[in-house]
Amino acid sequence: MDPGVRLMERVLARDASAFEALYDGYHRLVFGIGLRMLGDPSMAEDLTQNVFLKIWTAPDAFRGGSFVAWVSRVARNRALDTLRSKAVHPESEIPADLPLEGALDDDVFSRLDAQRVRDALAQLPPEQRGLIEMGFFGGATHQELARRTDTPLGTVKTRIRSGLKRMRESLGERVSR
Amino acid sequence: MNANADREQMMESVALYALGVLPREEAALVAAFIANDDEARREYLDLRAAADSLAHTAEEPVDSVRSARMKERLMARVRSDAAAGSVARRRIGPAYPAWLWGTGLAAAAAIVFSVVTVAQDINVRGDLAAAQRRAALLQGQLAQNDRNARQDRRTLTDLLAPDAKRYDVAAGTVIVRRDRIYFAFSKLPPLPKGRVYQAWVAPKGSKSVAPSVTFTPNADGVAVVALPVDATRVGAVAVSVEPEGGSKAPTTTPTFVRPLT
Repeated sequence: MDPGVRLMERVLARDASAFEALYDGYHRLVFGIGLRMLGDPSMAEDLTQNVFLKIWTAPDAFRGGSFVAWVSRVARNRALDTLRSKAVHPESEIPADLPLEGALDDDVFSRLDAQRVRDALAQLPPEQRGLIEMGFFGGATHQELARRTDTPLGTVKTRIRSGLKRMRESLGERVSR
Repeated sequence: MNANADREQMMESVALYALGVLPREEAALVAAFIANDDEARREYLDLRAAADSLAHTAEEPVDSVRSARMKERLMARVRSDAAAGSVARRRIGPAYPAWLWGTGLAAAAAIVFSVVTVAQDINVRGDLAAAQRRAALLQGQLAQNDRNARQDRRTLTDLLAPDAKRYDVAAGTVIVRRDRIYFAFSKLPPLPKGRVYQAWVAPKGSKSVAPSVTFTPNADGVAVVALPVDATRVGAVAVSVEPEGGSKAPTTTPTFVRPLT
């Protein structure tokens, strides 16, 4: 089982040491998502604080499944909130938040490591890999991706779908619902 | 463009949705499509799992000073809470704030993904009062954006949740999750001028219906509608075509009547 899930059960019971262990185990992930999406260490720090504070104050928001996937989505959504609040980009250029539930209930998922996912990404053609990474971490819509890469919108869609399918196949049974 | 090509385009949008790169309005359309299409739902779950795995690559070393600073701040709060003997506020019943089901949503003619424009340029030239008014307006817009984002997140989660109950109806699906009810239509016929669709709800054990929200689909016949009712008390739902502004009782034969059993 995802160790984060066990720790969250204890956090729900207001176990401060479990929360500390959760922070030790996952703050680099949350900080990393913040840094890649916001591009600023101070903002990534604020985001990390906010995400973990939310975990402590509202632990029942986690309803089971993969803790890694859940906390990643919380971090990504919070980064999108920050992008919105900065009002640097029009709302239409900021993607919708990701649903936090569903499709995450898999303890195998949590055994994936960064290297394995990087290997799966590396197997993709560069044009697919670039769009997928930019899409996930860039906080941009597909139209914005098309503009940034000077690629027709239809091509962007096809590349993202093909790339995600190939990743899914590469990761095989290690990623499942 | 033929139906196959249309469908293929929608399936590509499913991948974009899984990756999280669709703007809000398009995300709503794709969520409605996924809610109504088993194959799309399977592909979404598959591709979402692949997209989620990307998070594993984000982990970054955090310098020890920063890491310790963040931890100390958090743990100070945590210890303070623990010392005060605070108890986690487990939500009982509706897990969502009251405003979600308040008049704002009920009166909003039901398509939940409204467009809110964020002002991009804060022009603070001019007198102070004007700047303050502008700042207050922007604050209000940002707060509204935040509320919309939370609402969207909740709705999209409910529409796609594996534990949601789904009832097929003409042109779409009724989705019930916990105490919430949604209509996700993907092929509603266009309305005559001056007409709207209106939802009706029948309380459990009752044969009479009460009026609910009115709504109009987009040009493709898509509408995502959140009913401002407690699903646990509803026995059946229906939709009919009514004059703009809605009716107190159905004036036309309902498009569908669906018991929620």
